[in-house]
Amino acid sequence: MENKKFKIIKKKEILKLLESLKKEYSIFVPIEDNGDARFSEFKSGQDIFWDYRNTKISPKEILFPQAETLFCFGPGAEVKAEGSTPGGKDYLIFGIRPCDAQAISLLDKVFGGEDFEDPYYLERRKKTTVISLACSKPQIDCFCTSLKGKPENEEGADIILFDLGEDVLAGAVTKKGEKFIEKQNKWFKDAGQSDVDKKDKLMDLSLNKIKSQIDIQNIKEKLDNAFNDLLWNEIHQKCLGCGICTYFCPTCHCFDITDEINPKAADSKTPEGKRVRCWDSCMYPLFTLHASGHNPRPTYKERMRQRIMHKFNYCPENFKEIFCVGCGRCIRNCPVNLDLREVLVSLMSLGSLCKDKKI
Amino acid sequence: MIEKIKETVKKLFKENKIDIFIGYSEGTLPLRSTPCFITRSEDIEKLVWNSYCSNNLAVYLPRFFVSQRGAKDAKLPRIGILAKGCDGRSIVGLIKEHQIPRENIYIIGIHCGGMINTKKIKKVDIVAAEEKNDKVLVEDEDKKKVELKKEELLADMCKTCQYTAPAVYDILLGKEKQKTKKEDREAFIKEFEKKPLEERWEYFQEQISKCIRCNACRQACPNCYCKECFAEQAKPRWIGPTNDISDVMFYQIGRIFHQAGRCVDCGACVRACPMGVDLRVFTYKLIKDVKEFFEYEAGVSLEEAPPLATFKQDDKQEFITEP
Ligand code: SF4
Ligand code: SF4
Ligand code: SF4
Ligand code: SF4
Ligand code: SF4
Repeated sequence: MENKKFKIIKKKEILKLLESLKKEYSIFVPIEDNGDARFSEFKSGQDIFWDYRNTKISPKEILFPQAETLFCFGPGAEVKAEGSTPGGKDYLIFGIRPCDAQAISLLDKVFGGEDFEDPYYLERRKKTTVISLACSKPQIDCFCTSLKGKPENEEGADIILFDLGEDVLAGAVTKKGEKFIEKQNKWFKDAGQSDVDKKDKLMDLSLNKIKSQIDIQNIKEKLDNAFNDLLWNEIHQKCLGCGICTYFCPTCHCFDITDEINPKAADSKTPEGKRVRCWDSCMYPLFTLHASGHNPRPTYKERMRQRIMHKFNYCPENFKEIFCVGCGRCIRNCPVNLDLREVLVSLMSLGSLCKDKKI
Repeated sequence: MIEKIKETVKKLFKENKIDIFIGYSEGTLPLRSTPCFITRSEDIEKLVWNSYCSNNLAVYLPRFFVSQRGAKDAKLPRIGILAKGCDGRSIVGLIKEHQIPRENIYIIGIHCGGMINTKKIKKVDIVAAEEKNDKVLVEDEDKKKVELKKEELLADMCKTCQYTAPAVYDILLGKEKQKTKKEDREAFIKEFEKKPLEERWEYFQEQISKCIRCNACRQACPNCYCKECFAEQAKPRWIGPTNDISDVMFYQIGRIFHQAGRCVDCGACVRACPMGVDLRVFTYKLIKDVKEFFEYEAGVSLEEAPPLATFKQDDKQEFITEP
């Protein structure tokens, strides 16, 4: 980044800036929630949780909500597509961590890819400006640097912010970000060299704090031949098959679609049902249960293999990207401490001999 | 204690009494131990025993037998398992509900001093921890150390645990722990019962509003072994799969009611929940009622018939007619 690109703004002013944007945007900021952090719509007089480590639930829920009504139906009722941004406003996601911003760029490939377009996601996404907040305090299970990330990773963000204490340094990443800052110019000043130096120092310190580093450079290639490896018999053993690791993951994007019928809707004008889409997880047995009763992934083993293979082999194949940003949520929240890093390290240890191993 | 455990497990493998052993090994995060499956005797060294061994290991047992059920001459695995009081009671429940064969389970019972609830530690940046007798030493990223009393960190269910060792076992290790008094045990539930209906309802609402339907509470529970949970059945579809409050409510009420006469208060559901949902008062209320009405306690005897599977002429019925 060139120095001249940076702007500076007083932290106190940011609340005022957001306040002034409320008419135009639905603004999402990190707030304290039950002792943790979570993204929530910005309300007047509310403070931002500047020091938050990372949110428990990933901000993917803003663009890809856990449950959303796609449309309502019924005889005589108008079929109306829902799921657009509330009030037609644009979205401003303020202060998300760089790993989660990168995850949005991955979700873009799924929902806005060459093969399929998801109009619900895309409508929100097109209207969204992403302002990320570089990390000064990584957690012990953050391992973004083992993937593509780092505490000041810019991918997926339109603007990146650095918390310098009283001031906040802002750098535009995309054209959208540049335009945003330009339009809000009155709130910003040009940053001086000392501010930029301060930021560099902060980021050096932050990078040093990331102690968790694993070498998974060739994980895709390793997994190419690992589908039938005996190691999978051990990897899944302690898994409980809950939805935590996938629901919390900022890159997981599987969903289920169901119809909810309201039997009480007797008069034909009210819709009788709605089609709802909600998060699903490959760790659930019903995920692949066929109507015939057959289940191609009948045990924990196949399901765990799917999760790992999808992120580290199939997605690299289909989207040229590993679908993990190293946020550590699946590690932090797993009720049995089944640590993804350990799984990956053990898979990396597969030798070339393993190719021929069959169960 | 850990040496005793290792010794016992070693002997079991040597005498060819078990094919697999389920215990705990060191976790990857501070204040964590993790379930561990041992099939090779050289891995026995991995075993640990400390105040972070909170997972209820009984949850893993049914899956070893599920595919073989019905198959006549399937060779069933022989499983050794480390069982705290609550794990042991869950094992008894699973045997009585015919999910696992008693003769294939070797229970190493252990007197449990209670497990820590890490959520009770307010510090967020713990990078290391060390347990020393009745204290836990935690270290933050600036290498600052703080000494915490284990007693203050004990999980709620452990603080009032009635059966700190299993009632059914093949071998029992450790020294007997002091039992909590009934009054202490039931203080929290008595207090809750006294609250007006609205307040109790409000508490329930407040808890379930945090729920994201990740199903971890169900998956962590040894009693929840159903192949297809009512919550996910598609035909008929009892409830929707979303995190909408009405779906969540139905899910949780169903889950809780299915614990009547079966819950052993191990707290696995509360511990597993990533969102801090705590519905223990409701499961405990069932425990208390079942005890009062039917003089039955889950998981303490292999012989006594479960109240839901028996009918006695003099069974209490008022609760049906006068709720
Ligand atoms: S969070 Fe842990 S226990 Fe739950 S499905 Fe994932 S790996 Fe398994
Ligand atoms: S797999 Fe785990 S560490 Fe990777 S992005 Fe998902 S939640 Fe984060
Ligand atoms: S298949 Fe599993 S790992 Fe892959 S996106 Fe879906 S839920 Fe996530
Ligand atoms: S409930 Fe009792 S047996 Fe179970 S972990 Fe707590 S103290 Fe130990
Ligand atoms: S573990 Fe917690 S969040 Fe998950 S379904 Fe159970 S109560 Fe809800």
